[in-house]
Amino acid sequence: MEKIDLTLNINHKPVEVRISPNDTLLEVLRDHLDLTGSKESCGEGVCGSCTVQLDGKPVRSCLTLALEAEGATIRTVEGLADGDTLSPLQESFVNHGAVQCGFCTPGMLMTADALLKENPDPDEDTIRKALSGNICRCTGYAKIVEAVAHAAHPQDQCPDCASGLKSCCKAKE
Amino acid sequence: MRLPQFNYTGPDTLEKALDLLAQRGPDAKILAGGTDLLVRMKKGLLAPKYIISLKALKDLAYIKQDKGTIRIGARTCLADIIASDLVQKEASALSTACERVGAATIQHFRGTLGGNILQDTRCFHYNQSAFHRSGRQACHKDGGKICYARDESDRCNSTCQSDGAAALMALDARLVLASKGNERTVALTDFYTTDGIQPFAMEPNELLTEIIIPVTNGKSSYQRLAYRSAIDYPIVCAGVLLKADAGKKDTIGEARIVVGAMARSPLFLAKESAELKGKLLTDTKAFQKAGNGAMNSASTFAVHNVGATLEYRCAMVSEMIIRALKEAAQAIQA
Repeated sequence: MEKIDLTLNINHKPVEVRISPNDTLLEVLRDHLDLTGSKESCGEGVCGSCTVQLDGKPVRSCLTLALEAEGATIRTVEGLADGDTLSPLQESFVNHGAVQCGFCTPGMLMTADALLKENPDPDEDTIRKALSGNICRCTGYAKIVEAVAHAAHPQDQCPDCASGLKSCCKAKE
Repeated sequence: MRLPQFNYTGPDTLEKALDLLAQRGPDAKILAGGTDLLVRMKKGLLAPKYIISLKALKDLAYIKQDKGTIRIGARTCLADIIASDLVQKEASALSTACERVGAATIQHFRGTLGGNILQDTRCFHYNQSAFHRSGRQACHKDGGKICYARDESDRCNSTCQSDGAAALMALDARLVLASKGNERTVALTDFYTTDGIQPFAMEPNELLTEIIIPVTNGKSSYQRLAYRSAIDYPIVCAGVLLKADAGKKDTIGEARIVVGAMARSPLFLAKESAELKGKLLTDTKAFQKAGNGAMNSASTFAVHNVGATLEYRCAMVSEMIIRALKEAAQAIQA
């Protein structure tokens, strides 16, 4: 099958790749570019672990052809942190224990990041609805929802902050 | 899971897309959002030689009001339909149905209305991996002569689980199908064959371009039952349109009842719909009767092939219809 040269805009950098038409965006990210943050789990658009942002919207990279992503601004979990400095959302995930095995985390982060960009002040229902397409089999979601709420409200709405737990980022400040 | 190989083209005008379809028709598949097509290709249910992507056809994504109708481009993504005040006001059943498809933030930016209507019929004996299917004889839809869902059935009984189609049928929508040098409009109620293998009455060289919804003074409602709201297809759904009588405002002038996810197409129940005419908008007994009638009619078509037991799905038909009728009646009275 004929190979196609393609320029993808990934995390604000143009990247040249040589792909087959049947390569999904996820395969190109992981296998061609070593951006292995995005994970493949179900491969059929159910679990959300492959979520990346296309023009700021969360989409499933396992069901997006790489060819279809040409011309779009692609953002993966690798693009969230600034060097070694984690984004406030990532920081919040760490401090709230929202990461256990970590497999769903990149997808959760990308979905939550897109939500926070659109709605910087989401309530719990909004967060739960936004994350409803991301499956986590470890945390039971409570910590993840807390972490997202906390990223948006550094000073309040954080039960850990209220109880003065040391693990919480506000307590550290 | 790897996709099978194919040739990809992304025509930038409708004419070019229709040209390609005319040349390659049966060997080609249209890719809009890909949330149905690519999954089927990954499972080896489908291996088209050519993929024609609608990515560059931005002209097919719009929602506009036009002479007593709402016209929606087939490539309009579900998120835009959910966000549309026009659709919410004039065709709330469609708005609700789109909102219920898949996961809120993810599916909606890729999934399109056209793709939702044209999603293939499903059956848990058929929508399985190649490995699973290799362990037994092929079913009708897989090219064989057996139906695992209904013993000794001579045809495929796969189920249409489209949310959008059930809502649109209640709203009496029409579809615009374009082919090279030709265009035709077909009512959604006439769009289905009774064959699960080829569920849609459209030619391989035709492209769904537009969905036309008549604007009436009626109110609509869509109700859906699924195991996990963000992941699963509906196991039963109902779309309802109610119009108040022109003379007596508290009476039903016209009703359209549609049951979805119970057969090879959404079922428009003409008898139950007609019986509601002249009934009061508050007549819950009439709603109950319509629900029971719908349950009996729909049970004839349903087979055990989409998850929950058949008995449960049949029992829930009436509940979905009653809820939808109540919601639509309340919206009229409000």
